[in-house]
Amino acid sequence: MKYKLIHKTIYKYPSLVTGYQSLLCLEPKTMLGQECESFQLDIDPAPAEIVQRTDFYGNSTHYFSLHRPHTELSVTATSLVQREAIADVKMNPAITCKEAKDLLAHDRSLRIKMLEYMLASPMVRWDEEIVSFAKDCFEDHRPLYDCVKTFCQKIFVVFDFTPQFSTVNTPIKEVLAAKKGVCQDFSHLAIACIRGLGFPVRYISGYLETLPAPGSAKLQGSDASHAWISVYIPQYGWCDFDPTNNLVPGSRHIITAWGRDYSDVPPMKGIIFSSGQQKLKVEVDVIPLS
Amino acid sequence: MFTEATANLIQDYKNTLHSYDEVLDSKGVIKPHWMALFANLQRLGMDDLVQRNQEVIAKLKENGVTYHVYESAEGPARPWRLDPIPFLIEQKEWREITLGLEQRAVLMELILKDLYGPQNLVKDAVIPAELLYANTGFFRPCTDLYQGKGPVLSLFAADMSRGPDGRMWIVDNRTQAPSGSGYALENRLVTSKLLPELAEGMHIQKLSPYFGGVQERVLSLSERGEDSSNVVYLTPGPRNESYFEHAYLSSYLGYTLAQGEDLLVRDSTVYLKSIDGLQRVDVIVRRIDDDWSDPLELREDSQLGVPGLLQAIRKGTVQVMNPPGVSLVENHAFLAFMPNISRYFLGEELKMPSVATWWCGHAKELRYVLDNLGGLIIKKANRKSKFPSIYGRMLTAKDREILKRQILRAPHDYVAQEEVSLSTTPSLVEGKIVPRNAALRAFMVSDGEGGYRVMEGGLTRSSSVKDRFVVSNQQGGLSKDTWIVSDELERRNEKIKLPGLTVAPKQVSLPSRSAENLFWVGRYCERAMGGIKFMNILVNVLNLDRNFAGTSKPDHIKVLLQTLTHLTATRPGFLEGNAESMDPYPEIIDVFINQGRVGSIAASITYFLNAVGSVRNQWDIEVWRIIDQIENGYSLTQKSEAVTKHNVQKHMDSLYSNMFTFLGVVAETMPRDHSYSLINAGKLIERILGKLTVIKYCFCLQQQETAQEELVEAVLLNQHLLVNYRQLYKSQMHMVPMLDMVLLEKAHPFSIVSMLKELDECLKSLPRTSEKERLNAAGKAILKALSTVELADVTQLALVYGGGERQRLVDLLERLSDLVKQVSVELTNLYFSHSFMQHSFVIPKEDDEI
Repeated sequence: MKYKLIHKTIYKYPSLVTGYQSLLCLEPKTMLGQECESFQLDIDPAPAEIVQRTDFYGNSTHYFSLHRPHTELSVTATSLVQREAIADVKMNPAITCKEAKDLLAHDRSLRIKMLEYMLASPMVRWDEEIVSFAKDCFEDHRPLYDCVKTFCQKIFVVFDFTPQFSTVNTPIKEVLAAKKGVCQDFSHLAIACIRGLGFPVRYISGYLETLPAPGSAKLQGSDASHAWISVYIPQYGWCDFDPTNNLVPGSRHIITAWGRDYSDVPPMKGIIFSSGQQKLKVEVDVIPLS
Repeated sequence: MFTEATANLIQDYKNTLHSYDEVLDSKGVIKPHWMALFANLQRLGMDDLVQRNQEVIAKLKENGVTYHVYESAEGPARPWRLDPIPFLIEQKEWREITLGLEQRAVLMELILKDLYGPQNLVKDAVIPAELLYANTGFFRPCTDLYQGKGPVLSLFAADMSRGPDGRMWIVDNRTQAPSGSGYALENRLVTSKLLPELAEGMHIQKLSPYFGGVQERVLSLSERGEDSSNVVYLTPGPRNESYFEHAYLSSYLGYTLAQGEDLLVRDSTVYLKSIDGLQRVDVIVRRIDDDWSDPLELREDSQLGVPGLLQAIRKGTVQVMNPPGVSLVENHAFLAFMPNISRYFLGEELKMPSVATWWCGHAKELRYVLDNLGGLIIKKANRKSKFPSIYGRMLTAKDREILKRQILRAPHDYVAQEEVSLSTTPSLVEGKIVPRNAALRAFMVSDGEGGYRVMEGGLTRSSSVKDRFVVSNQQGGLSKDTWIVSDELERRNEKIKLPGLTVAPKQVSLPSRSAENLFWVGRYCERAMGGIKFMNILVNVLNLDRNFAGTSKPDHIKVLLQTLTHLTATRPGFLEGNAESMDPYPEIIDVFINQGRVGSIAASITYFLNAVGSVRNQWDIEVWRIIDQIENGYSLTQKSEAVTKHNVQKHMDSLYSNMFTFLGVVAETMPRDHSYSLINAGKLIERILGKLTVIKYCFCLQQQETAQEELVEAVLLNQHLLVNYRQLYKSQMHMVPMLDMVLLEKAHPFSIVSMLKELDECLKSLPRTSEKERLNAAGKAILKALSTVELADVTQLALVYGGGERQRLVDLLERLSDLVKQVSVELTNLYFSHSFMQHSFVIPKEDDEI
């Protein structure tokens, strides 16, 4: 499947902004199963320089700064992405939870490689209460892959997708208590539980093509950036799961970046120099081309 | 040979010892250098020593040496405490110690380069992977700052103490912003000035080669060379615990003291915002912790850092010493692995041991720790966690179980250390020389070629309480000068170059924020002085006329009271309610001393002192002495019931003359640069506004003849013109000649026209910010004000209209006042920056529609 991806962010400031420093994490990855054929950034007003960099996790970031006083800023990232339909690939790794745990405990080089995704991270910490939410889904003798799937289904069933409920900084505990949130909250909760049980898991930032209701046309700017998780199944590899939609990500999931949690890969962050307020609007389009 | 002590001082001291002490060697014999020091102490005598100690305390206070203690009842700034008795280490032993310290610094450098690079220490199982990935000092965005050829760790400090076996042990490492070297320097200066006799017969190594080494290192980092490079000393600001040191060292080393908001990244280059415009920065000596350095890529809520700094470092346009990310090796767990790391990198054993440390992430060590909690100190491996060090022996059986459970939940987060015992050293406590536990911080600077230069001295801290091992500044310990001594002068082969210390440093740009603070030093100083001056005149008048109590007051007193309320903007004051019949003294005293009241003299003095403290590197030692006196005088007024109707003038006089002296010393000692012009501009603007207000409210309405005469006299006094006036007009107090004098007397510095002219000169000496306009907006406003006052016709101004108002006078004064206020606004726009840092939204919310 080929997609054209447009991610447009507009900031409006009532009072003059004299300086802006920004770090973007918007460029889709090129990796097995996904190829980013082109990526273009349009920033208005134009910055003096845009600096591309590959971060610690191998994600592509773009830094820019603006010094011309302005009251409006727009950042548009446009990319063409070819995505293989991985969902069709038959996946049923048989390694059980117990076997996985043993490997992670005793295979030193595996452990070193995975430790980054097994420890607590800035936005993901857990306690017994959080982990106990997942415990019934993970049984030692069952395949780890199946357990994660069961667990994601549990999140999907128990939780309500409620956009206004949470912010970037809503703690996992609050989400767990309220049983509602958005994709980022569900991903963080899932990561906390899975790490709490001793398995490596990372946070994926990307996009999901949404399908319009049957019979109606798709609205422009109606797509959104999305988040899901990837669990490392020893002797098999990284496997993606989308707890928000209870599915195994396939050709409609486009990967931008991964890290320990959201704080490693926010799509856009920045610092403005101004004394006033700010407003922002984000429009995302995931347009299938073939 | 060291001189032998003949008297019993040292024997008396020896008799008090109950633990191992610095003065004794392993056989219990007194070390010769301590013998020499005690001989000198003996010669000085205890009485003199105690006396000198008082002088030391006074000197440090006078020099403004402070160390901020967070959450202290006495307020944050605590005077630095220095024990007059130094800490001595013999030269030969110090050579050994130096080798151990150098090796430690080299290892830290190697660890940093490895862990931010190939991570062989982890891959080859020298250290567990948790030391990297669970380390909050490991900053992922910093990985590409460590790839260069040169050393990354320029500054390093290590805390040491002497173990029972007589060897020095390393107990802690400081890499990110090692503090203390400035205090060590100040300790040395004060000790050698006030206690020169103590060094008789001993040769003491100098501290200056270390600071020369720092300057050389900075210079070698700068690409543009000595003459054009711009070095900034980056401080978190006046609220930081060691701000004194930041100001002190920056001025000693010749670097611009700056806060994060003074710097700006543009085109991946760091600039200093100065009143001369943007100045490119080559090297930053960083005193801000790692995570606060760049809010764009590190800790997002930091208001202290410079957004974009990491990008500038990556691009190589700026060098930061030490680079962000060095706190990686401050993690306590490394101490447990240092012997292995040393063998791995250097193929040699540690030359100086570390305090025994166990990392709980390994099963065997964990078991040992859990079984031996009673004799250990438990810490979190990550220094930044709020978890306090826990002394196992002080726990109850129940608490010990709780701690065990806590450790077992995340063993890799914990380390245990053997409880360190410290040697004791002679200390002066309550007039007696007694043994107190002490620890020493040593300072190192990279020589740029893989080696380190160790300061020949250090910062010794001792506990003020007997048998206490905690010797932190935060907990009220004493500091000591540290002497590396020998009985013969050591011949040095290496020649030390001290750039910048001998050559006069180039004119340093004034950061905009400092510029603004200087301006407000001038304004608040004059605001307080102008208020006191007028209040004093008022109290004099009141004292002459006390019979009004209970009945109505004479008209001129009413006017003066109301003018005070206008001048200090402390409504309602004497403007409303029962002002007519109330006793004026309580209100006057309140306006004088109530610090919480907006407009009070006390509030102005507090703001003044804050502004002075924010630009402390600007002040000469003479200035500090006066500031200290102002502080003392001010705190006297803040004691409860201290200021009464009867002594209020005494307090006012003393504060006023000290603040006058402040202005005088500033005028005598400060170079005539931008700093001086800004203080002066602030002072003049405030003074003109104050005098205009007093004239306006004294004369806006016509008064009876006698009342008017009293007011004329008061206003002349308020502008220091009464003597002049009397010489010309004798005792005739009339409106027209008075107005002529207060407004237009060119020969007198306190007339409005003279003050405006002086202000004009001040503005002209400030840098021009734009070439296009010959006269900037501030200059234009002042020109308008000058011509307005010079064109004034004083006879017309004195005229009274229908309702008894002097409309023309009021109009003129208000116009002048508006123009002068405009000058202040324009100065702010021209030279001081006013936008602040905030985060843009990072995640969209549905309701954030435009």
